[in-house]
Amino acid sequence: MAPKKGSVGNSHSRGDRDMDVEDRFQAVVLTDSFETRFMPLSADKPRCLLPLANVPLIEYTLEFLATAGVNEVYLTCSAHANQIDEYIENSKWNLPWSPFKISTILSPEARSVGDVMRDIDNRGIITGDFILVSGDVITNMDISKMMEFHKKMHAQDKDHIATMCLSEATEYYKTRTFEPAAFILDKSTSRCIYYQDLPLLSSQEKGTVQIDPELLEGVDEFSIRNDLIDCRIDICTPHVPPIFQDNFDYQSLRTDFVRGVISSDILGKNIYACITGDYATRVESWQSYDTISQDYIGRWCYPMVLDNNMQYDQTYSYESRHIYKENNVVLAQSCKIGKCTAIGSGTKIGEGTRIENSIIGRNCQISEGIVIKDSFIWDNSIIGDNSNIQHSIVASNARLGQNVTLNDGCIIGFDVIIDDGMNIPKGTKISAKPIKDLSASGFDLDDSDEITDEENTEPFSSLVGENGVGYLYDSDTSDDEEDASAGIHKVSNCLTHQIEELYLSDASISSITKRKKKKRTMSSNSMYTDREDIESEEDEEEDFEAEGLATVERALENNHDIDTALLELNTLRMSMNVTYHEVRTVTVMALVRRVYHFISTQTLGPKDAVHKVFNHWGDLFKRRAFEESEFIDLMNIIMDVVVDTKFEKPDLILFGAFTSLYNNDILEEDVIYKWWDNVSDNSKYDTVKNLIAKWVEWLRTADEESSEEESSGEE
Amino acid sequence: MSAQSMPSLVSNNHPTAVTEIEVSIDSFIAKLKRKQISGSYIIALETLQLLKRFISAVRWSNVNELIAQIRELGNRLEKANPTAFGCGNVIKRILAVLRDEIEEDMRETMAGQGNNDTNNNTNNNNGLTPAEPLISSMFNLLQKPEQNSQDFYESRAKTKTDFRQVVIQAIKDLIDEIKNIDDGIQQIAVDLIHDHEILLTPTPESKTVLKFLIRARERANRTFTVLVTEGFPNNTQNAHDFAKKLAEHDIETIIIPDSAVFALMSRVGKVIIGTKTVFINGGSIVSSAGVSSVCECAREFKTPVFAVAGLYKLSPLYPFNVEKFVEFGGSQHILPRMDPRNRLDTINKITDYVPPENIDIYITNIGGFAPSFIYRIAWDNYKQIDVHLDGKQK
Repeated sequence: MAPKKGSVGNSHSRGDRDMDVEDRFQAVVLTDSFETRFMPLSADKPRCLLPLANVPLIEYTLEFLATAGVNEVYLTCSAHANQIDEYIENSKWNLPWSPFKISTILSPEARSVGDVMRDIDNRGIITGDFILVSGDVITNMDISKMMEFHKKMHAQDKDHIATMCLSEATEYYKTRTFEPAAFILDKSTSRCIYYQDLPLLSSQEKGTVQIDPELLEGVDEFSIRNDLIDCRIDICTPHVPPIFQDNFDYQSLRTDFVRGVISSDILGKNIYACITGDYATRVESWQSYDTISQDYIGRWCYPMVLDNNMQYDQTYSYESRHIYKENNVVLAQSCKIGKCTAIGSGTKIGEGTRIENSIIGRNCQISEGIVIKDSFIWDNSIIGDNSNIQHSIVASNARLGQNVTLNDGCIIGFDVIIDDGMNIPKGTKISAKPIKDLSASGFDLDDSDEITDEENTEPFSSLVGENGVGYLYDSDTSDDEEDASAGIHKVSNCLTHQIEELYLSDASISSITKRKKKKRTMSSNSMYTDREDIESEEDEEEDFEAEGLATVERALENNHDIDTALLELNTLRMSMNVTYHEVRTVTVMALVRRVYHFISTQTLGPKDAVHKVFNHWGDLFKRRAFEESEFIDLMNIIMDVVVDTKFEKPDLILFGAFTSLYNNDILEEDVIYKWWDNVSDNSKYDTVKNLIAKWVEWLRTADEESSEEESSGEE
Repeated sequence: MSAQSMPSLVSNNHPTAVTEIEVSIDSFIAKLKRKQISGSYIIALETLQLLKRFISAVRWSNVNELIAQIRELGNRLEKANPTAFGCGNVIKRILAVLRDEIEEDMRETMAGQGNNDTNNNTNNNNGLTPAEPLISSMFNLLQKPEQNSQDFYESRAKTKTDFRQVVIQAIKDLIDEIKNIDDGIQQIAVDLIHDHEILLTPTPESKTVLKFLIRARERANRTFTVLVTEGFPNNTQNAHDFAKKLAEHDIETIIIPDSAVFALMSRVGKVIIGTKTVFINGGSIVSSAGVSSVCECAREFKTPVFAVAGLYKLSPLYPFNVEKFVEFGGSQHILPRMDPRNRLDTINKITDYVPPENIDIYITNIGGFAPSFIYRIAWDNYKQIDVHLDGKQK
């Protein structure tokens, strides 16, 4: 546990240093959620640049930060990083009168929020308390109240490291059920005692919360709440990124970090929850996209409303019944614009068209006799006569022919063309380019993944018509075990959430999250690759041996630096919950194998090989053994392994290993004596002990001589 | 969105000064849009401060350019938040002062040029308020001034008067006026409120109304009762604070529900409202919804309605489309959050328009006026040419 303590201490000192620059108020925006819920659209554009009410999502977060009075904003980007970077480069936030300094951090390697946090820690940009917010938040929250709460709690509790902001939802508000979670809060201080993801309403599992009774010690009264929308706005102290650094296996912000911190008595840190009644939610799925768009148009997020025209070229004006129109909208005389509608500039709407509860982008051509209800038409789309669009999304530059019907929950991707008279069934997602199987591409949506696959074109003309362009995007093609819910899933990870479908759609989301988790482990760095196998407990030890060996061998092979190797091992150790003994065994085995490899390939002589390997990698043991008994254990392990490996001259190898370790100050003389005194008398060791016996003898005499010379009476 | 699309206000002679002022203008605009600056008093003062910095930074070769630049600034501010009339109002006031000054300057110059003919005239007029010069015949009357002044604006590159100083002085004067607005209004208060009268105010957030009442109590030692409407949902907190402050000054204060206004109106002696903006037709925007119906009630009972307003709230605009001038707030105060598909549509006006026929008298810092007279005061302070800042000057 020593490494942990060490780095926590380190972060303390960091905190102290930063008291001086407290007036800087920083924010970290996580633009990538490491999810694929917005596929197929997020294949072309990152989630945070998808438009909500004709404004890219990221703007809402930045607007919130500007109102909050933040001075420095760091945007972390991984997928589509260059797009985000370019967008920010040209945005108003990069101009001299921007309320804050904005910089993008590109970390295309990151595979989870945890990776991003570690990256931030490595860069050392955090100097004080900072806001950690995801790039898809829409809120009108007053951050100053939360900050006040944070400061107050910080003064009361020095172990307080983060404040989560949670928004209260009423029972009528269904958005809260998208990522259900139970927060167990201390009633008097609103300290978060425990956090647990809940199964969704529909799933067969029962929602149970298991709390370790120890966690409840010293708590008078606590409340268990599942009516809170987790909007992912956290105020963190600078101690937070190092915690991610120390716990290499932390991936997600809530399930891993919050749970890990509050249930770990080693860290001894506390997280508090600040509950607000203001509007605060995340756009995390198509359903919430739909809900939040309508909320936004319905002015539930006031004073953040569309007719504030926060973008320089926006010209929205408000009319009663929540109709927003920009300048240069051309409306035919007989068209009907119903309530809760926004129309961007340059859009033309033809005779007899009816639009209600919808958001229409800029420069759209909407012809005659069309019905658009509850839908989202993005910029530059063209819709032919007499089409019927119900509760769907038509992305930018899409073209719909005449008499096209889009049924509930369709998502028409960028640049898709649909021929005349097509009827697109419920919940279909169409993209202009075929998108390869999710499980293969993972999160890394590089162009290389989007190889045109001829076999994939099979539903193509039947769906979009002869002259159409588009491929069916079927998120269920990936082989997930939850096939039972797959059929429902088709409909559900889309806009629809009418009451009768609500339960079904919930089920599908649960399947998504599950699959997502699985996928994450697959595609993340090699050290996690086999996590699933590990979960089967019976062969845990063997697994560790194999895994550990592989890890160390990889380190040797690729000549990693020692810190990295150590971290990897440490992660492995913690994730599999094994003792240091196993770690030492594995390390020794790997090293000895290496030596054997050198000798057998005759690259080096036995002596040189041992010295080379143990001199260089001996440090691996430095932080694997702390007490005398542990060092003795180590020596025993080395001896065992050496004997087992059946070298030609085992005594030479063992002697070489020990002397190397001794010369590198890893083994102390006292330890060696003690080990020698208690060494096993088993006959199989006899051969190897020859040289060691002489060496120990030599050591003792040398020691005595030196002590005599110094005339300090040591033994 | 990008720098190119933004109009550059100032010529590029002094890049550092230019960017500095651009930065402060744009951050001011952003604040207006985010509604971080609110309240007509604050908006007016902040706008003047900004204008002062702007005037010190800009460069111009002739007066016409200066006017164009100020108009451009005003246009941008007005567009940033169309319901914050304070910005436009003060800028238009300053423009009016500037134009007056220019006219006077021109007249002097012309007098100088035509020294021989009009010697007597100039001597007579010197130092006096600018009277219409040289109208000696019907012919002149028809031919007159626009042509000349237009020529002047364009032709004259050099002027005797330092217009930068003129504008800055005008801004200083206006700031003084706005800061001391209450004195003027309070003077009248004493005469208007009688002993044992019952007053009703539906605009508890108005500082002017608060000071007006407190002054009446303290200076004249009148005893009276104030009814305050609750203003649910947007104004309730304000109403409570208002009532507390009045009670601290020993004024009997009662908070009544909005629904009780009609029932109580028969007992009310006067209705006092604070305004956000007064339009040229004498109608006004008030800062809480429901005031319009209160004024309607008052009219039904023939109860006099007094509107208190500083002169800076007077806007030269005419409310053709009231909906455009009224502000709509958030829905969250009215209903609990529900899913969009099965909730009611909510509309939450946060300001209200009171038509001129429902207001009996405006009490301003320069005296009391009937709504029908407001237009006259407006033209004393504004120029017709500057009513709409967008579009080209004639």
